[in-house]
Amino acid sequence: MNSHAELESIAALDAIGAATAEESSAFRAHLASCAECRRARDEYEEAASLIARDLDPVVPPPDVRDRIFTAINRSETEGEVIDARNRFGVSRWWMAAAVLFLALWGWRELSVRVIREKVSTSEAELHRLAGQNQLLTARNEKLSAEMAALASQDTRTIALTGQQVSPSASAKVFLEPQQRRAVVFFYNLPANPSDKSYQLWILRGDQPQPQSAGVFDVTQSGGASISIENLPLATEIKGLAVTLEPKGGVAQPTNTNFFVAGST
Amino acid sequence: MTAAMNSSFETSSLLPAVATGDVRAFEQLYDRHSSTLYGLLLRILTNPDDAQEVLQETFVKAWTNAKMFDSVRGSDVAWLISIARSRGIDRLRSRKIRGDREDEAGREVSSSFGFIEKRTGADDAIQSQEQRAVRNALSELPEAQRIALALAYFEGLSQSEIAEKLGEPLGTIKTRMQLGMKKLRESLKAFR
Repeated sequence: MNSHAELESIAALDAIGAATAEESSAFRAHLASCAECRRARDEYEEAASLIARDLDPVVPPPDVRDRIFTAINRSETEGEVIDARNRFGVSRWWMAAAVLFLALWGWRELSVRVIREKVSTSEAELHRLAGQNQLLTARNEKLSAEMAALASQDTRTIALTGQQVSPSASAKVFLEPQQRRAVVFFYNLPANPSDKSYQLWILRGDQPQPQSAGVFDVTQSGGASISIENLPLATEIKGLAVTLEPKGGVAQPTNTNFFVAGST
Repeated sequence: MTAAMNSSFETSSLLPAVATGDVRAFEQLYDRHSSTLYGLLLRILTNPDDAQEVLQETFVKAWTNAKMFDSVRGSDVAWLISIARSRGIDRLRSRKIRGDREDEAGREVSSSFGFIEKRTGADDAIQSQEQRAVRNALSELPEAQRIALALAYFEGLSQSEIAEKLGEPLGTIKTRMQLGMKKLRESLKAFR
């Protein structure tokens, strides 16, 4: 390994291009960490220039000056062209970056919109399911009430039989007198037209007019059920009957064509 | 020698202004140093056409690379000389590769005389104090050191090539060049 003094001596040779490749390499590697040798290098290079400065100066021909200034003007112009190209290149990169940014921004906006739509759809689905849940809860409560009515020890059964318009039809009424409620199951009723509904009537002993107990529809299966709350006292119920009425039901029966009917 | 020729020793640096694209500064730089550089290139290349081409390359490079100049490290002229010499030696070596026999024939005489030329009394009269100091410093070098330095500096020869050319041991040549350069470095203090 070369000592500092040896490396500084190499600086003397390096300044006149006389150092070997190995010496130059070692010296240049050493320079990075040695301010003293960097100063020595600078001073030796300046000293080497004395060799040239000692020579007799010779004025170059005038056309050399012209050629040099023509060359630097040309290099300036080329430099401007290169600068312009670089600027164009830079702007082209900026344009590419801008396009990429817009594409990413657009993609992001699209993604956000899709996500919003998904959220909206999910919210609608959630709302629909909540509605279904409410419906099922109501049905569950209804079924629970029906089951309670059916299972109660006090429950009375009343059979309704098919009449002239539907002789094969029938129904069973499960009446819970204490709770003043009942569940009625219908069988083999013909499907009602879309503009009509079946309506159950309570024939009361204390009133001359029948009382509506509810409206229901019958599908092709011929079956249906209906729960009745707030029934009159059992002692006041003389019988039950079903008529076909305008859709949604009416206050009083419009006809006496009973589909099923029965007395208590 | 004219006063304009001796302008190489001007101390104010023009290269920082050239680096900013100042053409006037570049014109001054050319006027101040072109003669020194052309003299050097003629000494290296001997052929005026080659010397003029390399001079042109040197100044164009100075124009384009002026931003790399560091005035703390040295003078304008030393930086320009470094460029000119490097390009001159490159041109010389490429000619040697081409086998320019005529060039080699002329060079034998040139290298044997070192770099101190005889000058007239009139020349000495117009020399600046600094330039005289340079010449005094160089004249104080032993001839053997001057020749070794000249062969390296003007011919671009390696230590071993110089040793072979002069028939001296390699170590002797290296020591001569190192001693010569140390004396020149010492002489710089006289100009500062």
